[in-house]
Amino acid sequence: MAARHVIVGGGTAGHNAINTIRQEERERSEIVLVSDERPYSRMVLPYYLGRTIAESHVFTATPAKLGRLGVTTHLGRRATALDTKAGKLTLDDGTVLPYDDLLVATGSSAVRPPVQGADGPGVHSFWTLEQARSVLAEIGPGSHVVMVGAGFIAFTILNSILALGARLTIVEIAPQILPRMIDQQGASLVEAWLRKHGVEIRTGATLTAVEQHAGQRRLRFKDGPDLDADVVIMATGIRTNLGWLEGSGVRVNRGVVVDDHLRSSVPNVYAAGDVAEGRDLVTGQPDVHAIEPTAMEHGRVVGANMAGRDVAYRGSLLMNIVEVCHLDVASFGRWDDPAAELMLAVDPDRPSYRKLLWHGDRLTGAMILGPSADIWTTNDVGMLKGLVQAGTPLGPWKEQLRRNPFDVKRAYVASHATRQLLPQTVLGRPAPAPSMLWS
Amino acid sequence: MKVLRILPERCTGCLRCELACSYVQTGTFQPAKSVIRVSPFEGHTSYAPYTCFQCAEGWCMTACPVGAIVISPVGAKAVVDDQCVGCKLCTIACPYGTMFYNPDTQKAFKCNLCGGDPACAHACPTEAILYEEAETADWLGDFAAARAGSTLAAAGGNGRH
Repeated sequence: MAARHVIVGGGTAGHNAINTIRQEERERSEIVLVSDERPYSRMVLPYYLGRTIAESHVFTATPAKLGRLGVTTHLGRRATALDTKAGKLTLDDGTVLPYDDLLVATGSSAVRPPVQGADGPGVHSFWTLEQARSVLAEIGPGSHVVMVGAGFIAFTILNSILALGARLTIVEIAPQILPRMIDQQGASLVEAWLRKHGVEIRTGATLTAVEQHAGQRRLRFKDGPDLDADVVIMATGIRTNLGWLEGSGVRVNRGVVVDDHLRSSVPNVYAAGDVAEGRDLVTGQPDVHAIEPTAMEHGRVVGANMAGRDVAYRGSLLMNIVEVCHLDVASFGRWDDPAAELMLAVDPDRPSYRKLLWHGDRLTGAMILGPSADIWTTNDVGMLKGLVQAGTPLGPWKEQLRRNPFDVKRAYVASHATRQLLPQTVLGRPAPAPSMLWS
Repeated sequence: MKVLRILPERCTGCLRCELACSYVQTGTFQPAKSVIRVSPFEGHTSYAPYTCFQCAEGWCMTACPVGAIVISPVGAKAVVDDQCVGCKLCTIACPYGTMFYNPDTQKAFKCNLCGGDPACAHACPTEAILYEEAETADWLGDFAAARAGSTLAAAGGNGRH
């Protein structure tokens, strides 16, 4: 009898797993997808908000394509209980799905701070398509938008909010913006840049309440003046969706603990993406990387293993890139490692900033900030990522990079990073073109 | 498949490949829009062009959240303009530094082998860029390493690129 794979979650990890099962399997298996939303790409919601793409562009798998792939779907349903001994998954409508193996890819949800009025009218999260629709419906030219939280998610929608003609104020509880993506020096350059582009920023601001006043929101703070807003966006973090695994016997730490095949403590239960605590490529230690590239790679590795291949995963590389008002901000690897040797270069006027982090003659992390129009910013982001990914020993080029952290290309080429990288593939063979999309 | 084979010893640094590339890719003679980039590797006497290897993994392609990077009929990883939203994930995923981003159109772009008739190879007067059947390879590594001495000795380096 054909194997029955149950995929719980239709996000990036889930749809990459499905696609890869179909590409890698020798004989057609049964695939069942449980997803409380119709599959779409969260990564592109900011462009939907900015009206540069239509809503139809966000969907990753149409019902027709899922049908052609032979995927049985339970859309609009949530998993409520997992019985790993019996090999059965229960859904919120009472459906019981037996499985041979199962993927936990339930992702994360947005969380709001525990302050009075945080769930009132005109106060939004920006995480799901439904939430994106609500935000888009309320923002127009001249609206005053207050974004609570200055993390990666907030920054991905900053350009779109400005493009809609809104006025934007960002408030952040930490002493700097992007506290989990760049250091204080980089943050101060980005803050100055944004102020120059008309964005108000208030850091070190603790929100105490959101009140409703004559159709507007009034935000109150522990210190500092109140802020009135038409629209409030709570970009105050995410939490993994793991509650439904309680009692399942699947070991959960910060996420589902997985081995190098993305298997949980229960061998026929895999986990991928935001909910998985897997190997970090640089440190070799378990970590949760709630980012799109990790969800994609996890999903593919799980799909290949479910299809009967034996694929070990080298680990995920933490990486983030965001563009705000034509300034690129990127960091990857262990960019905040206190034990690393540092090299810095700053040009506050451009502005541009680079930080390279080393262990011996190997790069273990980097941070780059520079104008999007500078070609070398984009190219160097890739090459520095390659050096971290390959763990290339840079030998004498390390000193050259100390003299000039902008002279990346010659160091990269001369240290044969390319030779190390060309044989690397995630699944041990060339990746096929994406086939699940645009049906 | 046919790939762009680079023979760096033959490069004179004339930049014709960049001009040709930018013209075919964007319709303007603007090296800044070229997806093949010539860099100095020894003071200002040794140059070599560098572009996408059309690698087996296609890190840009697998990273794209909307499937906007595909494999073209000639085997190139190519950006489908209409589908690209400009999120830049490909630029950080590509470990070779061969993705580009156009701030005007807000789209990523890269070498697509000009659909099987690469302008850079045509334009090169010294046959430093060949379009032929080959395994893609680290074309520049040995060339650059052999010329490392003078670069490393020159304190301060040679600027950004």
